[in-house]
Amino acid sequence: MADKSHGIGGLSFDSSKRQWPNEINVFFALILIVVIFEILGAMVMGQSFLFDSNDRFDSIFNEARLRIIILQVAIIGIIAIGVTQVIITAGIDLSSGSVLGATAMIVMSFAQVAEVNGNPNPKALFGPAFLDLPVIIPILVGLAVGTLAGVINGALVAFARIPPFIVTLGMMLFARGVALWWSDGRPVSFPTETYGLIGKGMTPVYIFIALAILFHFIMKYTVYGKHTYAIGSNEDAARMSGINVARHLVLVYAIAGMLAGLSAIVITSKNLTAQSGMGFTYELEAIAMAVIGGVSLFGGRGSIIGTVIGALIIGVITSGFTFLRLGAYYQEMALGCIIVGAVALDQWQQKRAASRS
Amino acid sequence: MREPSALPWEEKMKKILLATGLVALMGTSAMAQQIGVSIARFDDNGLTVMRNGMTSHADTLDGVSLQVEDATDDVAKQLDQINNFVASGVDAIIVNAVDTNATEAMTAAAASAGVPLVYVNRQPINMDTLPDGQAFVASNEIESGTLKAFEVCKNLRAAGKSGGATAYILMGQLSNQAAVQRTKDVEDVLGMDMCNFITVIDKQTAEWSRDKAQDLMTNWLSSGEPFDAVFANNDEMAIGAIQALKANGISMDAVQVGGVDATADALQAMKAGDLDVTVFQDLAGQGSGSIDTALKLINGEAVDKTVFIPFKLVTPDNVDEFIAN
Repeated sequence: MADKSHGIGGLSFDSSKRQWPNEINVFFALILIVVIFEILGAMVMGQSFLFDSNDRFDSIFNEARLRIIILQVAIIGIIAIGVTQVIITAGIDLSSGSVLGATAMIVMSFAQVAEVNGNPNPKALFGPAFLDLPVIIPILVGLAVGTLAGVINGALVAFARIPPFIVTLGMMLFARGVALWWSDGRPVSFPTETYGLIGKGMTPVYIFIALAILFHFIMKYTVYGKHTYAIGSNEDAARMSGINVARHLVLVYAIAGMLAGLSAIVITSKNLTAQSGMGFTYELEAIAMAVIGGVSLFGGRGSIIGTVIGALIIGVITSGFTFLRLGAYYQEMALGCIIVGAVALDQWQQKRAASRS
Repeated sequence: MREPSALPWEEKMKKILLATGLVALMGTSAMAQQIGVSIARFDDNGLTVMRNGMTSHADTLDGVSLQVEDATDDVAKQLDQINNFVASGVDAIIVNAVDTNATEAMTAAAASAGVPLVYVNRQPINMDTLPDGQAFVASNEIESGTLKAFEVCKNLRAAGKSGGATAYILMGQLSNQAAVQRTKDVEDVLGMDMCNFITVIDKQTAEWSRDKAQDLMTNWLSSGEPFDAVFANNDEMAIGAIQALKANGISMDAVQVGGVDATADALQAMKAGDLDVTVFQDLAGQGSGSIDTALKLINGEAVDKTVFIPFKLVTPDNVDEFIAN
C-alpha cells in the first residue's frame, strides 16, 4: 500500500483503481446490441443487419441502413449535446422538446415561400412582406429564440435559485403554449427552397457530427469545459475557487437553448413544415441518450462522446426493431430496460472500482 | 395571413339580438324556427369549419335562426346552456358534446321538455337508448380508411399489378381509436377478393408525425424490399413517406401513396403529383346536416337515429375543387 502513495493528505494514486474510460463500456454495449441484431437477423429474416447481404451496394455494408441509423437520431442528438452539458453541471433541461416546438413555429413563419405550385402559399401566416425572405433571417430568428429560452432558464436557475427541474418544467409548459398560440395550433408549411436545403438528405447528420466534435473539444480542453465539470462535481468548491458559477450556468443553459433552436431549424427544414406538436418528448429522448452514454444525473461525470454513442444505441435499436418487423410496443419496452440497465451497470462498476482498494 | 373573422362575442351578440327579435316575432310568424346550438369549443379548427357550415346553411334557409353558444370545453356550462335553451323555448337543440360521457343529462333535459335534440360530430354515450326526437349526425369513420384503400387497390389493378403487390402501413398513435380503425379498414379492404392480391409487408406506428414517418419509411427502404403502395393513417405521415421515397430516388409514379384528411399540404402534394389518394371529412356538411336533421325532427318527420355525412374521396382528378375551398 505505502509504495502507491504519492500525494499528501491521504491522496494516493492506485493503478489498480484506474478505470477504463466509461465511453469504452458504452461502445462495447453498442457493439453487443449490433451483434444481437445480426444474429436475430440471420435467424429470423435470413439477411444481415448491417452488412450488404443482398449485394445492393458497392461496399460490404448496407449503406442505406447505416445512414438511417444515424439520421433518425441526429436532430435529437443536437439537443442532447446541449442537454449533456446541462446535466454535467448537475442540472436538467426538460424544456428542450417544447423549445424546439415553439422555435419551429416561429422560424417557419419567417421561412415561407410566396408561391406553391403556381398558387399563393395557402399556409402563409403573415403578409407578403414576410414571404421569400433570405434564408439567414429564419436561421438567426431560430437561434435567437432558442437562446432566449435558454437564458431565461439559466437566469432562473442561477440567480433566482429555483431548482432546474422546476424551471425547465415551467419552460416546457410555457414554450408548448407558445407553439400552440403562435398560429392557433395550425401547421405552418411551404418554406423557400434554400431553407429546405438545411435539413435535406444527410445534412442533419453532418451538423450533428460537426457540433459533437466541436463541443467535445470545448468540454475537454477549454476553461468553459473545466468549469462546467467543476460546478457539477461540487458547486460550492467551484465557487470558492473563484468560478463565477451563476454566470457560467446561464451560459450553459443558453447554449442548450441555442442548440434546441438549431434543431428546430433542422427539423422544420427536413420536413418542410412546422407543427405545434413537434419535439414532443424529445427532451426525454435527449436525456436518455446522455444517460445511456454514461452521463451522471448527479453531475460532474460524462462526455459528449458518451452521448453520441448513446444516440447511436437508440438509433440501432429503432432500426433493428424495424428490420425485424417487431412492433413499436416492444421497442419502447426494450428502450426502457436499456436505460435502467445502463445506469445499473454503471453504478455496479463504480461500486466495484471503489471497493477495489 | 390570419383568417379574417368577426370577434366571437360580436357574432354571438348579433345572434342573441336576432334571436330575441325573432322570439318576439314568434306570435306573428308561425314559420320561424329557432335552433339553439352548443359547440364544445370555438377555438378548435375542425369544429370551427363545422360551425361555419351550420351558420352559412341556416342563412340560406328561410325563417331559421340559430343561437350558437361556446361551451368552452366545460361540461357543466354546456348543460346549463341546454337548460337555458329549453327554458327560452327553442324549437330544437344541436349539441356538439364537450364530453361524450355526459350526454345522458342533456338527453333527459331535452326529452322531458319535448324539444328535439341533435348530437353532431361526437357520438353520445347513450347512442343505443336515444329517445324519439333525438338523433346523431356525423361521418362514419370506417369510410375514411376504406375509401382510401379501395382507391389505391383500384389504381394498382389499373397499373397491371393484380398478379401480386406489396404494401406498407403507417399507423397513427396506437392509443388512438382513429388509428386503430383506419388500419383495420385498410386490412379489411385488402381481405376482399378484389384486393387480396396486395400483401402487407409490415405495419408500424409513426405517431401521426411527418418526421417519424420519414425515418420509418427510410428504415423500410434500407431493407431493399420492393413494394407498390404505402397506406398512411393520415396525410402528414403520407407526406413524410413521400419525402423519404423522393430522397432515396424512388419515382413517385412507381408507388401509390394514400393518406386521410385532405390537409392543405396534402392537396399541394397531390397537385405536385406525389400523393395519389386522400379522403376529406366533410365537417361543413356535418354542420348543415345537423340543421336539416333538426328541422326534420321539428316537423315530426321520420329520421334515422344516426345520420351519416359521407367522407369524400380526393384524387388528382378532383383535387382542384378542394384546393379552391
